[in-house]
Amino acid sequence: MIKLSYATAIFIFCIGLYTIISKRNLFKTVIGLAIMESAVLLLIVTSGYIPGGVPPLLPMNGVAVNPLPQAFTLTAIVIGASDVALALALVIKLHRRYGTVDLDKIRGLRG
Amino acid sequence: MTISFYAFLCGFLALTAVVAAEIEDILSAVISLSVFGILLAIAFAILQAPDVALTQAVINSGLVTSLFLVAYSQTEKQQFRRKDKK
Amino acid sequence: MHRSSVFFRLATLLFCLCLGWWFWKGIEALEHTGTLTGPAVHYVARAAEETGASNLVGAILFDYRALDTLGEATVIYTAVCGIAMLFSRSKYRKSSTGLSFIVKRGLGFVIPFILLYAAGIVLMGHLTPGGGFQGGAVFATMTILFCIVYGSNFEAARINPKIKEFIESSGAVMFTLIGLVGLIAGAGFLANSAAGFPTGRVGSVLSGGTIPLLNIAVGMKVGAGLSTIFYSMVKLLEVKYEDAVEVDRP
Repeated sequence: MIKLSYATAIFIFCIGLYTIISKRNLFKTVIGLAIMESAVLLLIVTSGYIPGGVPPLLPMNGVAVNPLPQAFTLTAIVIGASDVALALALVIKLHRRYGTVDLDKIRGLRG
Repeated sequence: MTISFYAFLCGFLALTAVVAAEIEDILSAVISLSVFGILLAIAFAILQAPDVALTQAVINSGLVTSLFLVAYSQTEKQQFRRKDKK
Repeated sequence: MHRSSVFFRLATLLFCLCLGWWFWKGIEALEHTGTLTGPAVHYVARAAEETGASNLVGAILFDYRALDTLGEATVIYTAVCGIAMLFSRSKYRKSSTGLSFIVKRGLGFVIPFILLYAAGIVLMGHLTPGGGFQGGAVFATMTILFCIVYGSNFEAARINPKIKEFIESSGAVMFTLIGLVGLIAGAGFLANSAAGFPTGRVGSVLSGGTIPLLNIAVGMKVGAGLSTIFYSMVKLLEVKYEDAVEVDRP
């Protein structure tokens, strides 16, 4: 189960990277960024999993899973959301300046 | 949880990621990203991480989707204006 | 070669899959024994006596590694400042139509329960899964609902943007002041039980030392910050083109 999780996270990361490189629409770039960040979060949380474990809350009956990766995944989720918000604000400003969100047309205009 | 259920969930995650990346219409891609976020929250709950699942479900499927839709509507207004002034 | 030619896309896909194979070779070398290793052993065994909180993830975020949480609050503050600066010179027009009457009355019944849910998540962050981040995000979602259903005119009248700035800044200042109390007591910045905060009985509401106070501070900051982000991006919806928006698109 852990190896399946790792393989899924790496595959989704590669799809996100492919989206950022090869799509023209600027919204697709931001979507690819969000996909890449989510893949990394899945990888981090899987690295702390112990088969047959219980959540790390205190009336615990069994082995608790590792609480450290969960703590920094919480921080990473909120930072990822603010960084997607800033990217979307930049896309809106670009649209106001050039009139389009197509990357090829923006590069062709060059101010 | 059995491994076949988790394998089905991972397959569905990969499928929604591919749909969000490949489809041409931006609105469909944003909705697909929102579904991806909810499935990821379910995967976190299966991996015994309830704090992370709660944060992921609220932030990624509530806030980030609405920010995408606001940005999409802000970049569509210009075309409406050109059609109205014709 | 053009960006959308088939050859370019296949070459990119092949490159990404090769990168993925390389990552897999690296990840596969991680070993997974069936037990905890590293600092987690100390945290799981001793967090209840040292901090008094039941939620171990909350105890790590607000006691053992509280400085990282302060850094993350700074990142949110930077993003909010950046977005507000990008949209600061736009002309400010408010849209005053919302959705239909049934939706407005229905939401009026639901809003107090959503607020209660958000407050419960923030205040019980040291006992159950939850805490400042989750409660702040639910509060920001509630202000987004206000904007969509009642129109941004109503939302600006009810919850003034200046009040939101004030709440966000005072959340950050409260966090830093609680940390300075630890420094003054001689135990280090953001120290919990070593600085004299009472830990209480594990499992009761008044336990955990500084953890409930830091949860409230982070909840204020995250809620006001995310709400300001949404409000900066949406305040430019123009009033003249309202009927253009509501026409059904083919």
